[in-house]
Amino acid sequence: MDNQFIFKYSWETLPKKWVKKMERSEHGNRSDTNTDYPFQLLCFLKLHTYTRVQVSIDICGVDHPSRKRRFEVVYNLLSTRYNSRIRVQTSADEVTRISPVVSLFPSAGRWEREVWDMFGVSSINHPDLRRISTDYGFEGHPLRKDLPLSGYVEVRYDDPEKRVVSKPIEMTQEFRYFDSASPWEQRSDG
Amino acid sequence: MFLRRLARPVMMMAKVKETTGIVGLEVVPNAREVLINLYSKTLKEIQKVPEDEGYRKAVESFTSQRLKVCQEEEDWEMIEKRLGCGQVEELIEEAQDELKLIDKMIEWDPWGIPDDYECEVIENDAPVPKHVPLHRPGPLPEEFYKTLEAVHSGTLKDAISSSKKDEPAISSS
Repeated sequence: MDNQFIFKYSWETLPKKWVKKMERSEHGNRSDTNTDYPFQLLCFLKLHTYTRVQVSIDICGVDHPSRKRRFEVVYNLLSTRYNSRIRVQTSADEVTRISPVVSLFPSAGRWEREVWDMFGVSSINHPDLRRISTDYGFEGHPLRKDLPLSGYVEVRYDDPEKRVVSKPIEMTQEFRYFDSASPWEQRSDG
Repeated sequence: MFLRRLARPVMMMAKVKETTGIVGLEVVPNAREVLINLYSKTLKEIQKVPEDEGYRKAVESFTSQRLKVCQEEEDWEMIEKRLGCGQVEELIEEAQDELKLIDKMIEWDPWGIPDDYECEVIENDAPVPKHVPLHRPGPLPEEFYKTLEAVHSGTLKDAISSSKKDEPAISSS
């Protein structure tokens, strides 16, 4: 229950301008904020005496294609001093740029690169924004919902040219054959 | 061997701290003065924040409390024991960070509630399934609850004079 105390405390002391929505639950406390404020909010959480969150566990993104601001950048934070976790969420669309939090949390460098690579949410004045998990020369952002599961190109080694070439994907018909009867016993959902 | 030990002079009142036990955190010999300095500076700086803000109430509450304890006790060990907030070096770090934060807050100036402010508060009390281990952090220091009361009630005097909240029962899982 002490986790909830810290969260309630942060709800009271944070400037109201920064917080748009907050959820308190056993599944994970989270607070939602506007695009201008994540750096300031995280700075507050890091430095304030009663919410010492010095560790950023993860920064990831979520794509909700039906919303206008489709991406949600989620910062997962941990306070080693008070043993509590908190989640901060920001919503952004394709062209919004988030301020980098690398100066506060050095480990966030990689997470932000990943968010840029997988979703296309870039940062202003980021010290080092490169691709991190996709192939060199890959176009597109994989974790967006409109990129298909197997992508658009496939790579194969071409013997005459003696290098790896990428060709548009050719999906054989067997790949798209869905057998609704399952190989196991009769199951209602298939 | 034992004779030599007994022959050593008896320890003085204030034991010298050998090490903090934390990597990278050095022992500060005059910790009490440094702390009193930092806390008085904090109390001065926080006056620039507008009154009626939860942040200002909270900072005033715990800083004045810690300052009181530091001024009463001479020994760093007694300070640590009374506050229950970890070592004095950690307290110094926290005070320095708080000063930095106050500077930044004054620079950003996020005070005041805009007219069309609406905030959605979701209280999700959905029960967690039994097989999932729940997060049970340890007990918080006492002054945290006093500060929480100060922020809720509104004045510093109320918080100090009112009784402190009961510590929540931590169930051992």
